[in-house]
Amino acid sequence: MMHLLQIENLTKRFGGLIAVNNVSFHIDEGEMVGIIGPNGAGKTTLFNLISGFLNPDSGTVKFKGGNIIGLATHKIVNNGIARTFQVVRPFRHLPVIANVMVALKSPRGARKIEWIKTFERKAVDMLEDVGLTELMLEPAENVGHGDLKRLEMARALATEPDLLMLDEPFGGLNPLETDFLMKSIQRVHLDHPTRGIIIVEHKLYALMQIVQRVIVLHQGEKIAEGTPEETAKNKKVIEVYMGKAM
Amino acid sequence: MVRRYLRTCYSSFTAHVFDIPPRFMVFLFLIVLLLLPMAELSPYYLSIIIQANVLAIFAVSWDLLVGRTGQISLGHAIFFGIGSYATALLFKYYGLPVWITIPIALLIGSLAAFLLGFPCLRVKGPYLALVTMAFPLIIGTILKWSPLIPIFGGEFGIRGLPAFFSFLPDPTPQVNYQRIAEYYLTLFLLFVSSVIIYKIAKSKTGIVLVSILDDELASKACGINVTKYKLMAFMISGLFGTLAGCVQTHLLHVANPPNFGLTLSFAPVIITFLGGIGTIYGPIVGAFIYLILDKYLLTDLLPKLCEYFNVTLPDEFEYAKLLIFTLIVIILVIKWPRGVAKFATDKLEDLEEARDLDERGPRIWKRYKRKEKN
Repeated sequence: MMHLLQIENLTKRFGGLIAVNNVSFHIDEGEMVGIIGPNGAGKTTLFNLISGFLNPDSGTVKFKGGNIIGLATHKIVNNGIARTFQVVRPFRHLPVIANVMVALKSPRGARKIEWIKTFERKAVDMLEDVGLTELMLEPAENVGHGDLKRLEMARALATEPDLLMLDEPFGGLNPLETDFLMKSIQRVHLDHPTRGIIIVEHKLYALMQIVQRVIVLHQGEKIAEGTPEETAKNKKVIEVYMGKAM
Repeated sequence: MVRRYLRTCYSSFTAHVFDIPPRFMVFLFLIVLLLLPMAELSPYYLSIIIQANVLAIFAVSWDLLVGRTGQISLGHAIFFGIGSYATALLFKYYGLPVWITIPIALLIGSLAAFLLGFPCLRVKGPYLALVTMAFPLIIGTILKWSPLIPIFGGEFGIRGLPAFFSFLPDPTPQVNYQRIAEYYLTLFLLFVSSVIIYKIAKSKTGIVLVSILDDELASKACGINVTKYKLMAFMISGLFGTLAGCVQTHLLHVANPPNFGLTLSFAPVIITFLGGIGTIYGPIVGAFIYLILDKYLLTDLLPKLCEYFNVTLPDEFEYAKLLIFTLIVIILVIKWPRGVAKFATDKLEDLEEARDLDERGPRIWKRYKRKEKN
């Protein structure tokens, strides 16, 4: 069976530091996978490798059977991998709705506009998915951090990706906002049964509730993989997070 | 008591005067410009405004590239120069009329923008500024190279180019029909090109251009082919820059190396910052301020005033003029960092907002309301 995303022996070095070391995993259609690990475990680097911001030193990344290493970022996005950023990167001069329109203007975003929907209607729909319609016309520079996190997700969803990669979607959100975003991620997952989702997160409490599988990274290496319950009991994982038992 | 009364009158006056929709303001501005030749200005003043129109086209095209796309170019004179030399050479060697040379020059200009875009857009920020600055300087030097003087005319350039309206009657001391016709032509070109650029900036493509200005990486992550859009902005900007060059050449009947010079590269920068960067209408206002300041206030009005007050200007004033001009520009930019036009529109928007909320409206209404309540 062909996996949606298959990563084999991916390695990336920055000088002497090995940021990602021989990591292999795969993601199937319709699966929601969490990637966790302490700071500096190489989670964001892994994201950058998949989305084409960085080129790996060795290893392969196959998406829907085709190799995507070396492709330009925008081509990868148009192949169907969309990502958000850990530190929000809104287009500050543009209103919230125009932020989404940029993604709709990309070849993939434009392709998915049904004939009955206008460009603007589609943009409003994307904002509705994450609950930002009230702030539609507000310039992005006036919008708070929690809303920008949601905007990031709306922008990624606007390209109708087959694989959605969320880099710390709950970072800096209060419990109420976390809860809301969690629900919208779940809704997005239910609405598109074939879409794979990868979430990198520090807030394990929120993450463990929604994902089906967890991959644990530590110092660039994959140390565990399994359902949330399994990994929570894994000795190695506890060691990494809590330190060794005396 | 009196002061309070005056203030009330003033606020009611401003509330009434400024309650004009922006579209109508533009319309009024246009009407004033259209009727300007009726005021029987001397040809010198009219030529200042013609110059302002041409420079406004040039600055608006720069604003699309820099203010809207964020690709800092300090060598926009290259398009101006290409435009002026292309039309001049086409006339010199093929004797083509103006109406044919200008479209061909526009094609050459946008093609040059396309070719220049490839090396230029590989670098970013200040490096891009330096690379773009180098190109016009290189070409300007090549033009003065001695083996090429028979072709390009060296330092003197190519002279004796035809005027746009040579079929109109020759100028008399009373009236200069050619100048007036040129004025309307430049005004028409300014209107058309600024409307086209404004429409592009407001379109969906314009949104993508601003996204590149804000965050190139995020725009890539949205699936935008950034290089394509940058090249497009470069080409559109080059096209209108070339148009300005073509028109200028036929107005002054000469194409010479200063058309590639640093002064022209920096003129759109100063104009755009005066008017308001990224606004598209700002540079038009900026161009008028720039030229009126330079060619009227300092060159014409100041000596006349000094004569009136029996003050003799020192001979060194000619050299100090540029210094004074620069100082005034610096003061204006510090006073209104977002540009004069942007400042004005912001003020208007504030006033409009105040009228929406009754409580913050002019005082005269408040008092009236209070009376009503009682």
